[in-house]
Amino acid sequence: MMDSLPHLSTEFFTWLWWSTEQGGGRLTVDGEEIIAWVDDRMAFRLPSEDASRAVLTGADTARAAEAKAAMAAGKIIKELRVRLQWADREYGFTLKGSGLDVGGLVLPALPDDGDEQDRLMLRMEAIEALWAVLGAIYRQFAAARTSDEWQTEVVPSIQQWLTGSA
Amino acid sequence: MGFLKGRLNFRRYRVVDPLPDDYRDRFEQAFTEHAFRDKAVISRGEETMGWVRADNLLETDFSNRDRWLYTHYVMAGMRLDKKTLPMPLVRAMVEQRVAAWCTEHGRARAPASVRSDIRSNIEDDLLSRTLPTVKVVHFCWNLPEGWVLFENTSEGMNDRFRTLVRNSFGVALEPFSPLEFLSETPELVEPLAAAGMTVMGGGAQ
Repeated sequence: MMDSLPHLSTEFFTWLWWSTEQGGGRLTVDGEEIIAWVDDRMAFRLPSEDASRAVLTGADTARAAEAKAAMAAGKIIKELRVRLQWADREYGFTLKGSGLDVGGLVLPALPDDGDEQDRLMLRMEAIEALWAVLGAIYRQFAAARTSDEWQTEVVPSIQQWLTGSA
Repeated sequence: MGFLKGRLNFRRYRVVDPLPDDYRDRFEQAFTEHAFRDKAVISRGEETMGWVRADNLLETDFSNRDRWLYTHYVMAGMRLDKKTLPMPLVRAMVEQRVAAWCTEHGRARAPASVRSDIRSNIEDDLLSRTLPTVKVVHFCWNLPEGWVLFENTSEGMNDRFRTLVRNSFGVALEPFSPLEFLSETPELVEPLAAAGMTVMGGGAQ
């Protein structure tokens, strides 16, 4: 049985938020450029609680001062709405919790002229493509998280970004 | 239904146990044995649960495999019915009938047994006239790759789903762990799993 290790997901959410803001929304995943940004919803909780303590919604949520203030106040990210774009595909979805539950997934526009089986195949294929990209992004996080630079470079950079001194 | 149209919420699972060679027959049998069945009498708070076809929550005939097996995906719904009563109304009706009983029998108070009988009669009467709340949550199971998407993220519904899958198909579902993303880089699993919390904002993560 694989443990989900809840603290890793909140760190992944923070790293993803920081990475997309630092890189102008561009991530290179398995050699392909992906445009990623935190969209219009972020939920924060205290490390010791499951319930949300702050929920930010609306345009430019990722750059709202309240988002960084929530982190500065000791809260951690519970849910994060993300947009991903690559090739001609665009996805919107909310990542939630330690097992990366998915909420409000909006898939790219797909042909709608087939039968039930055709639609299911196309949509499941689209979901699998998203899952593969999400996995590649998570592997980047895992590589960074287990590197020596995590404590010496990444975390200080995130902390400076959160406090507005970088 | 999000698997075919519109927005989608899901929790992902890994199927722990291997599929038997005759899984088609076994699935049809499992769906049929654990299909949703209307109960003539549902007591207050009792849940009735079972499988329904994805195309219509009233359809529980799984003999046509084209209605639940789509190449290598199985898609169906878990239906959950529950009857609830408006308790303020129940309490008010009980008090009214207890008062009538006291008047009829010239007593200041009704014995507990009388009050209990009155309450049971009222609840049974209201339950027989009340429609259940009906929930259907769909799932999609990729058979060769051994993963399942369940279209709900609440803990209660997911617990029910895992239990119904285990009881029906005899397989266990394991909630997805992001560490499964690291199957191509297994050298990262152990150090990542051992990583402690990082202080990023104002507190420990």
